[in-house]
Order: sequence, then structure tokens, then C-alpha cells
Amino acid sequence: MPDAEFFDESGRPRGFGGVRTGWNTAEQALRESEERFRLLVQSVVDYAIFMLDPAGRIASWNAGAQRIKGYAAEEAIGRHFSVFYPPEDVASGKPGRELETAVVEGRLEDEGWRVRKDGTRFWANVVITALFDESGRLRGFGKVTRDMTERRTAERALDERGRLLSHLVHAQELERRRIAWNVHDDTIQSMVAVGMRLQLMADRLPGEHAAAMRRLNDAVDASITRLRGLTFRLHPPGIDRGGLVEGLSGYLDQVSGEAGLTYELQHDLVREPSPEAAIMIFRICQEALVNVGKHARAKAVTVSLTSADHGVLVRVADDGVGIDRPLDALSPSEHFGLIDMRERAETAGGWWRIHGRPGAGTTVEFWVPALAYGEEGIPL
Amino acid sequence: MSATPWPLTVLIGDDDPMIRDVLREVLEAEPDLDVVAVACDAGESIRLAERHAPAVVILDVRMSGGGAHAAREILRRLPGTRVMAFSAYGDPGVVAEMNRAGVVEYILKGVPNTEIVAAVRRLAAPG
Repeated sequence: MPDAEFFDESGRPRGFGGVRTGWNTAEQALRESEERFRLLVQSVVDYAIFMLDPAGRIASWNAGAQRIKGYAAEEAIGRHFSVFYPPEDVASGKPGRELETAVVEGRLEDEGWRVRKDGTRFWANVVITALFDESGRLRGFGKVTRDMTERRTAERALDERGRLLSHLVHAQELERRRIAWNVHDDTIQSMVAVGMRLQLMADRLPGEHAAAMRRLNDAVDASITRLRGLTFRLHPPGIDRGGLVEGLSGYLDQVSGEAGLTYELQHDLVREPSPEAAIMIFRICQEALVNVGKHARAKAVTVSLTSADHGVLVRVADDGVGIDRPLDALSPSEHFGLIDMRERAETAGGWWRIHGRPGAGTTVEFWVPALAYGEEGIPL
Repeated sequence: MSATPWPLTVLIGDDDPMIRDVLREVLEAEPDLDVVAVACDAGESIRLAERHAPAVVILDVRMSGGGAHAAREILRRLPGTRVMAFSAYGDPGVVAEMNRAGVVEYILKGVPNTEIVAAVRRLAAPG
């Protein structure tokens, strides 16, 4: 006799029956589990976790992705993921290669610079996992990205390479300063004395000899001016006393006068960068400004310094003729200047780029970490 | 101040012997200027200024002991004396430092002799 509690008068089970009830619970549990998982992925802020469709277009987004990359979900979804790569990587086809590698090897891990929505860069650890269904068909990619900028900067400050760089910059600047001091305090002083004496002689000698003395004095004067320019470029005096902004503004005063440029120096630095970073930034700006003077035919240049990601983001933008050729078609001397700037920034653990269109000016943009070293290259 | 006494007395303080000598000659070529002493550092400049009470002191900025220190001390001890900087450095920090020490005339090394002479006369002029 069936138990009256579970069966009705006609003998049919009351309720929904044991088997059916059990299936329903499992489905609900699965749905809840998926919901919890979706919430977890969506809410994680330390990692950008999102999916790409097989063509590389963004198919999902989470809070971490928004935080790290700066795009809201509705801005990101549907875009191609190459939007996160620096222009030089896009040009070399890196995003596509990374997907191909992930397909062949199942996953790909990479560390490198990526670009936020506002154009600033961060040092990313990226894992791309290819996702296949049971039939082996590629359904898309899972992408997990971490912002490692802070850790990288800290590690670079501690590692051997950072110490070596610090020593190198220090030694180079010391040598330049020594040369500048010698030229300034010895050679130029003597030439000033010679010039003064030539003027005295011109005042005392009769006509034609006086004229010869004055011409000699003019030649000495011109040499003094050139030597002063040299010592200034070797070691700008303001940077020791007043720091980066004063050094740069003194340099801009001088070069803008020579090149007939107007300039604007915008700065928004939370603190003065370390001496190594300051001199690095100064030197790259110097090279960029030399290029503006030589090639840009610009009327105005804007230099901006902003604290960003434990470093300094710098832009040197002119309103000149822009770049009318691919970079590799530049003359060796032009090209050398660009390589020099890029190497300086990259050796310091930062990045550098140049962009511009014909007729629309050129912008040199770079970021260097605010390395801080004390005596003996020990990080502060 | 009453009328400028004649000739105008000048003291030179500079650590570069070539500059010292030629500057002295340039000033002494002018009939109204008389170089009463030449010093080669800050200490000597202060001592000789006290001894001669010159109308004008011309100081190098980077000489040993510091041009700013010498200017401050001389102006403290001799309120009637005027101090002028004669410097190879024209960057704003250095100029500001000499200004704070009470130096009102700042001449860059390398300017024509006539400008140096004019600056000395301007500085000593009453008013």
C-alpha cells in the first residue's frame, strides 16, 4: 500500500515526483553556479578577463578590463583587440601573430606595452587561451591581462640592469659636466680676456690696424658664443639648481630664441623625478627639440610633463610640416637621432614613439619610470 | 649722496688672472676711473674693500669664497659702496642669488668693454 502522504487518492504521486524534483535542483544549482561564476569574472578588478571571437573582436568584458584599459563594456565589445596594442606593434602585425600562436599552441603568454583608452601605456602580462568546442572548432579566445607596470618599475629599480643604467647615466653626465666646466671656466674665460684686450688694442692703434683688431675681436666673440652654446648643451646649468622644469625652461628659452619658435611648457608633476630620470627626460627632450629646430619648420612647440604610472609622461609636440616619409626612409643622421631617443627611453625601462602626419605637426611622446637611486646605485 | 667724487674708485675681485689684468687695464684707460685694488677671492675682496672703501666693487660670481658672500659682506660693512657682478654665468638662479645679496648691476663676461665701463659709471652715479 502506497504511503498516503506521497500519493493522492488515485494513486498518482503527489507533487512532482522524486526524479523530476532531483533534475530540477541540479539545473538550478548549475544555473546558480554559472551565475556566481559570471559574477566572479565580471567583478574581478585586478585582472582584465574577457573573450574574443575567432576574428579577434571583443565579445565580453569585466570590471578589471574597464579599470586597466579604461574602456566601458559598451565601448569595448565589438572592437578588434588590436586597439590595446601600441601602433608599432599593430604595424608589425603582432596582435594577429599572437592569436595564431594561441591557436597552434593552445595558449600564448606575453609581456609588453599595451595602450589604454587615453593613450597612456601600461606594462602588461597577457595570457591568450584558444577556446575549442567538442568538435575541435575554434570558438574564440580567453584573454587575461594584468597591469604589471608598478611591479616592473619596482623590479627594474632593484635589478642589476637598473643599477648599471644608473651608473651609466651618472658617469656620462659627470663627464659632460666636467667638459662643460673646463670649457666654460678655462677656455671661455681666456677668450673673453683675449677679446677685451683686442678691443683695448683697437682703441689705441691707428685706423687700419684698429679695424683688423675689431675683426679679430668679432671672430673671438663668435667663437665664445658657439662655445657657450656647446657648454649649455653639454650641461644645462638650471637642471642642478632648479630641477627638471627649470632646466627645460632655460633650454627652451635658448633654443626657441635661436629657432624663432614660441614654446609652451606645461607641467603637472607630483614630485621632482630622480636626478637620473630628470637628466634622461631632459636629454630626450633636447634631442626632440633639436629635431624640431632642424626639420619641422614649426612656429610653436609644446612640451608637457605629467606624472603617470610612477613615472613621467612627456610630449613634445610641434605645429610644423609633420613626417612626410616612413621613418626608415629618413637620412642616417635623422634616423640616428630617433634611435638615440628611443634607446634612452627603453634602456630606462620606458617607451618612446613618434607620430605625425604631413602638414599636421609631429609629436614625440615617451614615458620613463621615476627611477630613484641614492649613492652607490641603491634604490631610494 | 652728494656729487660723485673724482676719479671714481674701483675694486676688482676675480680669480682669473687674465681677466683681472685686462679688466684693470680697460678701466684704467678711462680718465675718470681709478682701480684702487685687485683681489683674487672673496676674503681678499672683503679685506681690500674695507681698506680702500671704493665707490664700486666688481665681483666675479664663482670665485673662491663665493661672489654672493663677498657682495653681502662688503655691502654690510660699506653701505656707500656699490657692487656689480661680472660673471660668465647668466642663468636665472645665479642672477637671483646675486640680487638677493644686494647686487643691482649684473654684467656678463664677453660684453663689449664700453658696456662694462658704462655699467661702472651708471652704478656710481648719484641717485
